[in-house]
Amino acid sequence: MDIPPLAPAIPAPLIEVLGLTKLYGEFTAVKELSFAVRPGEVIGLVGPNGAGKTTTLRCLAGIIPPSRGAVKICGFDLSQAPIEAKRRLAFFPDEPRLFEYLTVEQHLAFTARIYGVADWKARSGPLLQELEIADKADKLPGELSRGMKQKLAIACGFLHAPEVIFLDEPLTGLDPIGIRRMKNSIFQRAQKGAAILISSHLLHLLQEVCSHVLILKQGEKVIDGTLEEVRQRYSEAGAADLEEVFFRATGESEAKT
Amino acid sequence: MIAQALFFYQFHSIKNRLTARVRRMKEPRYLFGAVAGAAYFYWFFFRNFNHGDGPMRRAFFGGDPEMLQGVYALILLAWVLLTWIFHRTRATLAFTESEVAFLFPAPVTREQLLHFKLLRSQFAILSSSLLMAFLRFGGSHFWISWLGWWIILATLNLHILGSSFAVTMLMDRGISNARRRIISLAVIVAAGAGLAWWLRNSFPAPPLVEPGADAATIFAHYVNYAVNSGPLPYLLFPFKLLSAPFLARNAGEFIAALPGALAIMGLHYLWVMRANVAFEEASVDAARRTAERVAAIRSGNWQAANPAKKPGRSPFRLDGAGFPAMALMWKNVIAASNMITIRFWIMLAWLTVVSGFIFRSQIHSGAALALTSMIGLLLGFSVAMGPSLLRNDFRQDLPAADLLKSFPLAGWEVALGEVLAPAAILTAAQWLLLILALVCCPGQWDKHALPLGTRVGCFVAAALVLPAVNFANLIIRNTAALFVPAWFQLGKDGPRGIENTGQQLILVLGQTLALALMLIVPAIAFAVVWFSTSLFVGPLIALALGGLAALAALGGEAALGLRLMGSMFERLDLSKEQFSAE
Repeated sequence: MDIPPLAPAIPAPLIEVLGLTKLYGEFTAVKELSFAVRPGEVIGLVGPNGAGKTTTLRCLAGIIPPSRGAVKICGFDLSQAPIEAKRRLAFFPDEPRLFEYLTVEQHLAFTARIYGVADWKARSGPLLQELEIADKADKLPGELSRGMKQKLAIACGFLHAPEVIFLDEPLTGLDPIGIRRMKNSIFQRAQKGAAILISSHLLHLLQEVCSHVLILKQGEKVIDGTLEEVRQRYSEAGAADLEEVFFRATGESEAKT
Repeated sequence: MIAQALFFYQFHSIKNRLTARVRRMKEPRYLFGAVAGAAYFYWFFFRNFNHGDGPMRRAFFGGDPEMLQGVYALILLAWVLLTWIFHRTRATLAFTESEVAFLFPAPVTREQLLHFKLLRSQFAILSSSLLMAFLRFGGSHFWISWLGWWIILATLNLHILGSSFAVTMLMDRGISNARRRIISLAVIVAAGAGLAWWLRNSFPAPPLVEPGADAATIFAHYVNYAVNSGPLPYLLFPFKLLSAPFLARNAGEFIAALPGALAIMGLHYLWVMRANVAFEEASVDAARRTAERVAAIRSGNWQAANPAKKPGRSPFRLDGAGFPAMALMWKNVIAASNMITIRFWIMLAWLTVVSGFIFRSQIHSGAALALTSMIGLLLGFSVAMGPSLLRNDFRQDLPAADLLKSFPLAGWEVALGEVLAPAAILTAAQWLLLILALVCCPGQWDKHALPLGTRVGCFVAAALVLPAVNFANLIIRNTAALFVPAWFQLGKDGPRGIENTGQQLILVLGQTLALALMLIVPAIAFAVVWFSTSLFVGPLIALALGGLAALAALGGEAALGLRLMGSMFERLDLSKEQFSAE
């Protein structure tokens, strides 16, 4: 009797969200949101303005507490073991948050101490080279362009080699070369096994870099799955690309006819 | 049509702003702030509105009217001269970025834009005049004071605008700021020298005041004579015309003084309207910079609103491994080093000199005693005001709370890291002052002997207790910032006016009360240990042991406070604040 081959083991999710709800008084910003992201997956979080994308990201990064539900990062519950969970994640807000009085190098030294990166000097060199800001080490953020600031924030975020990465509108302010490098950087980190969640309105970007997509509307999940699954779900309605899927899923009125 | 549109915009902007401020009184934090602010203003300014002359009025309006006119004219002259020296940018009119976007490309003439700007500035000028009148700052009647102030401030506003146009014209003709300043200063020095020469040759010496004589009256007569003789009356004439309505004693005098003042104002108006200077480009640039500052503050990135000018030096080498809270301290020390500028040292030197004069005039027991008292005063000042001045902690970082909360640190670690830098800087400064005090302190104080053991004991006790006091003080202030973040967080974009004044008053009172309560147990511990041990050991050891006891008690309280602050930070949900603020 032939023994059937073993199915490849499914890796445990690095991001696990169970019934996440965020309330502001009587207003529900995010409602009963559940999903999981496994190593190597890149999930795009899309939705119209006010859908709850940024609130979701801030809850997942441990910046604001959820009203209900649980978030696990690499198996650590964000409310029970926040330090262990945060040590494994990096969050990039849409506006780079930098300290105006610290130079580029001082930002890296500061971040290294916060995350306990003993060999930060060895790590920061290649990172700064990759992001093309190695010659700006002694510059203050006020002396950098918007794109350079974004790159510095990225360098700080990647310094501790996070396993989970949250990006909120990551391409804002980047030039075409910066955009390409950012995409490559996302691919590389996903290939190395990071779980990445990107919130963006740039649907063509998500279509290029994401393996999965999650569509939110008024704080509720409309659909999630691989890009192919989501496309198939709306294929009967004639949806060919993510933009079309988005319009059909959210019921917006700009769908092609 | 255009004028109507601009008036419509201005009227509705003010109306909507006031409506929004009234509407937000529904929130207790604004309501309580407004009530406390109103009580403050009533108590200090308006209470005596109909009850004769207040001290301010007596001080500034109690003298001979003719002399006062000369003095006010001199002040206005000095102000105008300084305006010419200190102008350094091209002519700009303060527009918001939205106004630039709507008005600059619109079919609006330059004159209409200027009129709009002048009309808009009237709201601020009228409010300021009203406040000055309420303060009884000059004027024999309320309405005379108000209108008098309005004429002066409106004319000075026109003068600033006109002089900025003139400076721009000079810059366009290749005359740099430095050259203009040198020329202005040379003219002023030459005029001053001429005046001094005239004074020396034709002016009588100040009269000698006999004991018992009315020195103030004699001085007033002398000043009156000085400003009304020689070349000064000609120089001061336009300024006297301007201040005459404000100094009128009744309606008749006011009406009589009005044509001259309005003529000066009218000449200024013509000067501004006729000046053919392009202000648009510089105004657009200024509007952009203002918009960037406002946007930075609104997005929580308040630091971008006041970017650092040069990189601060690392206070010590920060390795990647080690206690992570030290990173926050390291960062805040760098931020503080940016704050400690030449202006800071000038302010400190000024404070020292003023304190020195005060003490020298009151204590006649020798320079050492005066100096020790002065250092004691500075120490007291550093304890009371130091934590308010050094804000490189949560009060600085609260708008960046998103970033802090994403760090893998426990709440108490973040809290500790945040308060360490100001506590360390304050303590270092206080220890320096203590060493100075120990060196200067004489062996006798007001006929009481102060042996070396007692002096060193006091020094050791203070050196032990002060870090804990600073720490406790900073914990209170930072806990307050976390408790009512909206009162701190919104910075320059936050509530202004009466609500903000009230909020700040409530905060100061609450923080002072909390510190007083925190100091009770350590004070008792100090007294008990010092008293009981002084029966057996000398003052040095007894005071040092008392200091240690106080340190232990205050340290315990501070540790509890730190835990409380840490858990408050962990629970802090700034999105709720932002949500409720919208």
